[in-house]
Amino acid sequence: MIRTLQALVVTALFTSASLALAGPPAPKAKGIESSGYKWNAQEGEKIEALKLKGDPKRGEEAYEVCSACHLPSGAGRPDGTFPQLAGQHPTVLIKQMADIRGGLRDNPIMYPFASTLVDPQELADVAAYIQTLKIPRDNGKGPGTDLALGKKLYERDCVSCHMKNGEGDAAKFYPVLAGQHYKYMLRQATEIRDGKRRNANPDMVKVIKTYSDKDIDAIVDYMSRLEMPAAKK
Amino acid sequence: MRTLMLMVALTAVTTWAADAKPAPARPADAKPADGKAPAAGAKLDGAKLYVERTCVACHGKDAKTPILPDYPRLAGQSAAYAEKQMHDIKSGARANGNSAAMKGVMHLVTDEEMKALAEYLASLK
Repeated sequence: MIRTLQALVVTALFTSASLALAGPPAPKAKGIESSGYKWNAQEGEKIEALKLKGDPKRGEEAYEVCSACHLPSGAGRPDGTFPQLAGQHPTVLIKQMADIRGGLRDNPIMYPFASTLVDPQELADVAAYIQTLKIPRDNGKGPGTDLALGKKLYERDCVSCHMKNGEGDAAKFYPVLAGQHYKYMLRQATEIRDGKRRNANPDMVKVIKTYSDKDIDAIVDYMSRLEMPAAKK
Repeated sequence: MRTLMLMVALTAVTTWAADAKPAPARPADAKPADGKAPAAGAKLDGAKLYVERTCVACHGKDAKTPILPDYPRLAGQSAAYAEKQMHDIKSGARANGNSAAMKGVMHLVTDEEMKALAEYLASLK
């Protein structure tokens, strides 16, 4: 309920703006709800951008349009409205930007901004720049009420892809989780479980389909406390 | 009397809203990109601030091609008006329209910087 409400508030803040968008609305591609859906199909501007060498210097300028929401530091917002981006794998960033631009991940808030990036080279550049930003350690954390359950589930179900410290896997397009905000991950995990994030990996949906809200709360709380090995003292 | 009560109630709500904001400003964000605080009395560069404080993302490079049609053009706006709106959106005194989108970044901007930004905007044609 709270999650739905939060999503509604965020959407309401921007919907009037998005509806009035002069440019064409976001396209709608066939996602996880369609029978022929293939996760991370190697096609479109994504594969072009992945082949290119990103220039962080040019990317810094391209990032200007991202910074009002994700902040100049890339740290996003602890309230879960905007994710932390700093230090994310460029492959993940390129895939998510391309999915949003191509209408495979529905994001009416970000679409107008994402659609201003001009070509695959700019996607590669901005991803290269974001990777250079430092992963924050003061990200939004969960309430810490059931970390033992969270740890148990994470180590059973998540660790094989997202790794022990939430490092993810650049080559497999699995995101860094370390430093991500609790409330953002709560929203995404719930949407992935419920089939609402249309570019989700069906393998992950299978794993978390049986989770209760309580399971998701616990696991995401645990994830919000992960730190990259280099960040540890 | 009713007006007074309303005012008290409004103040309470505004104060609550200010207290309930999700996170303190990240100190790193409050500083210029080079990490140095500007020297006292130094002239702030409004054009530079316009990019660094993220105004450019929504209001456009020239401050007159906003990313969405219902965001305002700012080039040539009266400095006094622009400065007041920035103050009011930061404090929460103005919370209508699209100001919610902007409130989230106003923790990046100090009073002196608002002044410099307002003067920069007013100087644009």
